Amino acid sequence: MNAAAPYLEFARKAFSREATYRVEVFTSVGSFVLRVYLLRSVWTALYAQNAAPAGIPLHAMITYTTVALLMSLVLEVDGTRMIREKVREGTIAVDLMKPISLPLYFFSDGFGQTLWNALLILPSLACALVLVRIDLPSLPALIGFALAFALGYGVNFFLNFLMNAVAFWTLETFAIQLMVRWVSDLLSGQILPLSLFPGALGKVVGALPFASIYSTPLQIYIGQLSGYAVFPALLTQVAWLIAFAAISAAVWQQAQRRVIVQGG
Amino acid sequence: MVVMPIIQTRQLRKVFRSVRRIPGALGAVRTLFSRDYVDRVAVEGMTLSIEEGELVGYIGPNGAGKSTTIKMLTGILVPTSGDATVAGLVPWQQRQRNARNIGVVFGQRSQLYWDLPLIESFELLRAIYGASADRYRQNLDHFTEILEMHEFLNTPVRQLSLGQRMRGDFAAAMLHDPRIVYLDEPTIGLDVVAKEAIRNFVSEVNRERGTTIVLTTHDLSDVERLSRRIVLIDHGSLVYDGTIERLKDQYGTHRTLVVRLAEAYPEVKVDGAEVVGRDGDVVRLRFDRGAFGADQLIRRVTESYCVTDVSIEEPDLESIIRRIYIEGYEPTLTPRAEILPHAVS
Amino acid sequence: MYLAAYAQYWRINFLTMVEYRTNFLLWFGFTIIYHGTAIAALWVTLHQFPSMNGWDFRQMSLLYALWMLGHAVHNTVFFTVADVPTYVREGRFDRFLVRPLDTLFQALTVPQQVWPDELMLAVIFFVAATWFSGVHVDAAYLAYIPLVALGGALIDFGITLVIATCSFWFIRIDTLRWVVMSLEQDFTRYPISIYTRGVRFVLTFILPFAFMNYFPAAYFLHKSESGLSLSPWVGLLTPVIGVMWVLVAYAFWRIGLNHYQGTGS
Repeated sequence: MNAAAPYLEFARKAFSREATYRVEVFTSVGSFVLRVYLLRSVWTALYAQNAAPAGIPLHAMITYTTVALLMSLVLEVDGTRMIREKVREGTIAVDLMKPISLPLYFFSDGFGQTLWNALLILPSLACALVLVRIDLPSLPALIGFALAFALGYGVNFFLNFLMNAVAFWTLETFAIQLMVRWVSDLLSGQILPLSLFPGALGKVVGALPFASIYSTPLQIYIGQLSGYAVFPALLTQVAWLIAFAAISAAVWQQAQRRVIVQGG
Repeated sequence: MVVMPIIQTRQLRKVFRSVRRIPGALGAVRTLFSRDYVDRVAVEGMTLSIEEGELVGYIGPNGAGKSTTIKMLTGILVPTSGDATVAGLVPWQQRQRNARNIGVVFGQRSQLYWDLPLIESFELLRAIYGASADRYRQNLDHFTEILEMHEFLNTPVRQLSLGQRMRGDFAAAMLHDPRIVYLDEPTIGLDVVAKEAIRNFVSEVNRERGTTIVLTTHDLSDVERLSRRIVLIDHGSLVYDGTIERLKDQYGTHRTLVVRLAEAYPEVKVDGAEVVGRDGDVVRLRFDRGAFGADQLIRRVTESYCVTDVSIEEPDLESIIRRIYIEGYEPTLTPRAEILPHAVS
Repeated sequence: MYLAAYAQYWRINFLTMVEYRTNFLLWFGFTIIYHGTAIAALWVTLHQFPSMNGWDFRQMSLLYALWMLGHAVHNTVFFTVADVPTYVREGRFDRFLVRPLDTLFQALTVPQQVWPDELMLAVIFFVAATWFSGVHVDAAYLAYIPLVALGGALIDFGITLVIATCSFWFIRIDTLRWVVMSLEQDFTRYPISIYTRGVRFVLTFILPFAFMNYFPAAYFLHKSESGLSLSPWVGLLTPVIGVMWVLVAYAFWRIGLNHYQGTGS
C-alpha cells in the first residue's frame, strides 16, 4: 500500500498541473463543440442523399462519432511524452537512479492528466447535447463499454510508450510519433466506424491492434457488438494489451541498458 | 570643437502597467474584464551621457532597470517619458536606422542559428545588415584571428562549447562595424580562459576601432578589468556615475589588516580596529583609513603581539557595491553634482 | 538588401535539407501520412456514401487538392511566423528589433529546416486530382490555379499572423494555433453547402477559408449551390480575398508590435 503512495502523488501533481491552464479549457471545449457540429453536418448530409449502411442508422452514427470525440479527450493524453523530453535533455539517467519505477511514473502522470481531462467531458457533453442527441445503451452494454474502454486505455498507453521509447535510439521521434498517431486515428475507428471500410480491407483493419483503442468499446456502445459476441472482442483486447505490455517491457530493458552503457 | 555625446538620455522614464490579477478560480475570468491596473516604475529620471569610444560598465542588482534602459536605447522599448539620442537618432522612432549603428550581445540568448555551421550565421547576418563584401571579409578574417575561431567556423553551432559559441556571438554582433555595442551579461557561465579571451577581444575592439561599449554585467571583475567608468543603478534610478577609483576612494574608507600571529593568543584586541574574523593564528582587523594610517595600526599590533606576517586588503569593488545596495548611497559622502559631471538637474 | 537576405535564407534552408537528410525523409513521410490518412478517410466515407450534396469522391479530391496546394505554399513560405509566440515567450523576439530589417520579414526568414516537401506533394496530388476529377483543363485553368494557391496561402497566412500577434498580449497561445489549424483542415474538407447558414457565412466572410478551395472548385466543376446565393464568379476572387486578409492581419500585427514595444511583455 505504501508502495503506491508516490504514484498517487505523481498523479495528483499532474492533475493540479493541468488544472492551472484554465484558458485551455475554453479552447478545448470550444473546439470539441465545433467538431460535434462538423460531424453532425457531414453525417446528416450523407444520410440524406444515400442509403444507410447495414446496422448503422444516422442516430447510431452520430452517437458513435460523438462518443469517439469524448473518448479522445481522455485518450489523447500522453504521459509518456516525458520520455522524449527527458532523453533529449539528458535527465533520464538521473531519473533512473531514483527508487521508483519509471514506466509507472509515466503512467501515473498520464493518469493524473487523464482525470483532469475526464472532468472536461461533462461540460463538453453538455454543450454537445445542444447540437446532437446521443443514444444511451443498455446497462450491460454500458458495463461492457467501460471494460473495453479501460482495456483500450491500456493499449493506448503502451502504444504511446513504445513510440516515445524510440527516443532512446534516435532523437527525431516527433515525426514518427505523429505518423503513428494519424494512422492510429484512422485505423482505430476514431474518425470512422471500421465497419465502413470496404470488404477485405475492413477485415484487415479490424484485426489490427488499433481497433482495440476506439472501435471495440464503441461497437459495444452502439450495439454492433452485443450478447456473447462481446466476450471474444474483450479477449482480443486483453491479448493485445498483454502483447504490447510484453514488448514494452522488453524495449524498456534494452533502453535502460543503453542509458547505462552510454552513461546517459 | 564641441563633441556630441554618442549616447545622451534625458530624464528617461519607463513605467510598466499591468492588470491587477484577481486570485481564485473565478478570478482568472474576472481578470480578463478588469480595469484595475498596477504600475511599476522600472526606470526613473535616467540622465546619462556617454562619449564616443568610451567603455562603460552599467551595473545594478537584478530588477534595477538595467535591461529596461538598454532596451530603450536599442529601440526595443518605447519609454513612458523623457528622451534619448543614440548617434543622433531616437532609437524607438528610427529603430531600423539605429539598428545599423549598434551591435547587441545577449549572453544568455544566442543569435546564431543552432543547426548551421557558424560561418552560415555570419553569411546570413551579412545579408541582413547589407554589409559590403570586402569589409565583411576583412572583419571576418580579423575576428577569426583574434578570437581563434578557425577550428570551429564550419561546425554546427549546437556542437560548440559555450565559450566557442560566445566567441561566435561576439563576432556576429560586430561584423557590421557597429559604432556602439551593448553587451548584456557577456561572460555568464564561462570559464576563466574563455572569459579572458572575450575580455581581450572587447578591450581590443574598443581601443583599436574606437567602438563605444556599454557593458551590463553581474560579474564585477569584467568591469574592473575593462572599464574606467561605471554607472550604478538601483531601483530604477542612477546612484553613481564616475570612475571606479573614485568610487573606491569615496566608499572604500575601510581597509582590512590581516595579521598572522606567532603565538596562540586567547583574545586579540586592538584600539581603533575591529576584529572581523579569526581563523587559527590569522586575524583580520578592519579599520578606518581616514582615522589613522596602516603603519600606525601595525605598530599598535606589534606592540602587544608577536607577529610573523602582515598584509593589507583593499576593499574590492564587489563589497563596495554590495554595501551601496544594502545601505543605499549616501549623498553626504560626496556632493552628488560632483560625481555626476553630466547631470543636468 | 531584403532580396539578398531572402536568398541567403533559402540557400541555408537547402543546406540544412542536405545535412539532415534523414530528418527530411522522416518529415516527408509524415506529410504523406498526414494528407494520406485524410484522403483515405474521405475515400472510405464516400465509398459507402457516394454523394455528398452532389459531390462525389473524385470532385472532393479536387476540393482537398486545392486546399492542400494553398496550405502547402503557406507552410513553405510563411510557416515560420507561427513560431513568434515561442520567440516572445523566450525573449528571443527582441533580437528582431535590434536588426535593421522589418520585424515581420525577419520572422519569415528564420532558418529552421523549412523544406518544400509538402509543396512537392501538393503539386503531385493536385495534378492527379485534376486528371481524376475530370475538370475541364484549359489555359485559363492553368493560369488561375497558381493564383488560387497563392491566394489560399495568403488567407492561411492571415490567420497564422493574427494568432501569432495575439502572443504579444497572451503568453499561452500554442493550443489555440493547433486547434484553429486542425479545425481549418476539417472544415475545408467538405463542400460548405453541408453546413448551416451561419457557418457558411463565417467561412465565406469572416474566416474566408471557403475561398481557399470551395469557391474555386465549385467554379471549375460548375457547381452552383453555395447556399449563399452568390454568383459562381466569386470563385475567381481568391487572390483578392487573400491580399485583403493579409493587409488586415498586417495592420493587427503593427498594433501588436506597438503594444509589445510599449510593454516589453
